[in-house]
Amino acid sequence: MVESIIEVTGLVKHYPLTQGILFKKQVGAVKAVDGVDFTLNKGETLGIVGESGCGKSTVAKMLVNLEQPTAGSIKYKGEDITQLSGKALKSVRRNIQMVFQDPYTSLNPRMTVGDIIGEPYDIHPEVAPKGDRRRKVQDLLDVVGLNPEYINRYPHQFSGGQRQRIGIARGLALRPEVIVADEPVSALDVSVQAQVINLMDRLQNEFDLSYVFIAHDLSIVRHISDRVGVMYLGRIVEIGRDAEIYDHPTHPYTQALLSAVPVPDPEAREHRERIILAGDVPSPTNIPSGCRFRTRCWKAQERCALEVPALAVPSEFRLTSGPAAHDSACHFAEEMQVVPSEGPAGELPRTPPDDLANGRE
Amino acid sequence: MLLEVRDLHVEFRTRDGVAKAVNGVDYAVDAGETLAVLGESGSGKSVTAQAIMGILDMPPGRIAGGEILFQGKDLLKLKEEERRKVRGAEMAMIFQDALSSLNPVLSVGDQLGEMFVVHRGMSKKDARAKAVELMDHVRIPAAKERVKQYPHQFSGGMRQRIMIAMALALEPALIIADEPTTALDVTVQAQVMDLLAELQREYNMGLILITHDLGVVADVADRIAVMYAGRIVEQAPVHDIYKAPAHPYTRGLLDSIPRLDQKGQELYAIKGLPPNLMAIPPGCAFNPRCPMAQELCRTDEPPLYEVSQDRTSACHFWRECLNG
Repeated sequence: MVESIIEVTGLVKHYPLTQGILFKKQVGAVKAVDGVDFTLNKGETLGIVGESGCGKSTVAKMLVNLEQPTAGSIKYKGEDITQLSGKALKSVRRNIQMVFQDPYTSLNPRMTVGDIIGEPYDIHPEVAPKGDRRRKVQDLLDVVGLNPEYINRYPHQFSGGQRQRIGIARGLALRPEVIVADEPVSALDVSVQAQVINLMDRLQNEFDLSYVFIAHDLSIVRHISDRVGVMYLGRIVEIGRDAEIYDHPTHPYTQALLSAVPVPDPEAREHRERIILAGDVPSPTNIPSGCRFRTRCWKAQERCALEVPALAVPSEFRLTSGPAAHDSACHFAEEMQVVPSEGPAGELPRTPPDDLANGRE
Repeated sequence: MLLEVRDLHVEFRTRDGVAKAVNGVDYAVDAGETLAVLGESGSGKSVTAQAIMGILDMPPGRIAGGEILFQGKDLLKLKEEERRKVRGAEMAMIFQDALSSLNPVLSVGDQLGEMFVVHRGMSKKDARAKAVELMDHVRIPAAKERVKQYPHQFSGGMRQRIMIAMALALEPALIIADEPTTALDVTVQAQVMDLLAELQREYNMGLILITHDLGVVADVADRIAVMYAGRIVEQAPVHDIYKAPAHPYTRGLLDSIPRLDQKGQELYAIKGLPPNLMAIPPGCAFNPRCPMAQELCRTDEPPLYEVSQDRTSACHFWRECLNG
């Protein structure tokens, strides 16, 4: 039996739009997150993918309590963190840490690396007594593959990949159980991305971490995730194990998204079927009725405008036990293979010797 | 050949010393052909493009040598006035970030029309009509109404279409697209790349596509030039390079990307960091990160070896690399 560590139910975040100066009246809302449910199991990585504006970062912020949800609950080990305050909140926050996207702006340029990584100990002094901190910080630097002697350097003395390692070390400082990573590698160059992904993989095993990994790059998400949720306009439209989502998607949006990803193989160019969606994502202030994807969907019918599809196993797959039987919010769910099937097994990736993979300076 | 860059050198003078951004780049593009220039940040791919367009900031930038032959004439020998006639009319550029490349206080119609007013001496009214035509051509819905709108009223994908329309306005022979879809979401990226490829065929233009995305390259390019530390380390037809790279850097890049159709164990990672352009390592610039490096690589800079008729590699051990 898998043990769940975070349970999210009916999560909603609406940002009000107001008019007038003195007497502000609400004229609408940006529905950034509009009813999201998922669970994160212990030791697993849940990937959340979606295009910009789909609400994935807002979900991340609510998970670490940087934003208060409008409705819904986030249960960490059975306790609703949205209702907590004071001491109880502080102890939960210690256990759910975040790694940010942009390593250039998320580190204070006037603080040394030692101060940045050690700052969480000021808030939670019980984790590391004063005299012990320097050694703890150096251990952390070592764990993320940086030279412990760099403790007195400033962020600008590091490259992008190294800065992201510092961000990860800061996230690890309090020995959390959950790390929410919001686009942790999208600002990095290709050759450095792999180093950071491998590091996150290694740390997960070493510290028994659970990850919520948010990204728009579907290939990276597949690589690191055990389960994947696809978001569109504030809702999860499809969720399942990585092979279920990537090899047997049933929601048309997932299918379009996957087929649009360029595959680094020119041979695949000719025999790939691509679904090109028309138009742009609708505005989150004015969400279409019924199924929110219907305005761009090639399968949409009258029913889609009237009925909101529930996120559940579609009825046609309910009695099967195949990989298509996973949650998908579509009235007309159909299995479709859009990613060309796997090449000869074992050809890629080549595994380099350990000392190369660490990329240590 | 439509465009030939020969042994181009560009450097930047900074307070801390001279940064050698481009160190002897050779590449060529023919009409109707797509050359992808692949490289990480700081590899010199954008600087080369800026030198071709003549929009390099000088100073601090300086072209330290080489030639850029466009339709047979060396652009570097032209006067600024003459270059201005080439720029926009015969070669045009599409930038990565459409929002900051468009003027926020002018309507898109005015910005598109300006091309015709300046280069073709059209009246404002005719230019406006041309602008609507162009917007139709890049499939912006309701072009007649939207021509009066400002850049912030368009979505990211639509803005990039306007950038494409602007580049195409005077039907140039060559288009340089610098990371045209990097800022866009995948579904919109596919729309924009498709449009660009279609228009390229229609006008039989040469296209230089600058990118760091190996997936995009595989989808659209005919040939690839891989840049590292201001040099082209490998140049080859797209099929050859993906099948068997002839340079360890290309191999490392291909191996380090996670793939949608495969779930791997550990990703291959190129060790270390790209070099500081003020202190490029002696010998082969890639040698400190290269798993195949030998003594020779630390002392002798590799020349461009001819791997086959249309393929070059700047690696002493390209044969070994090619054979895996």
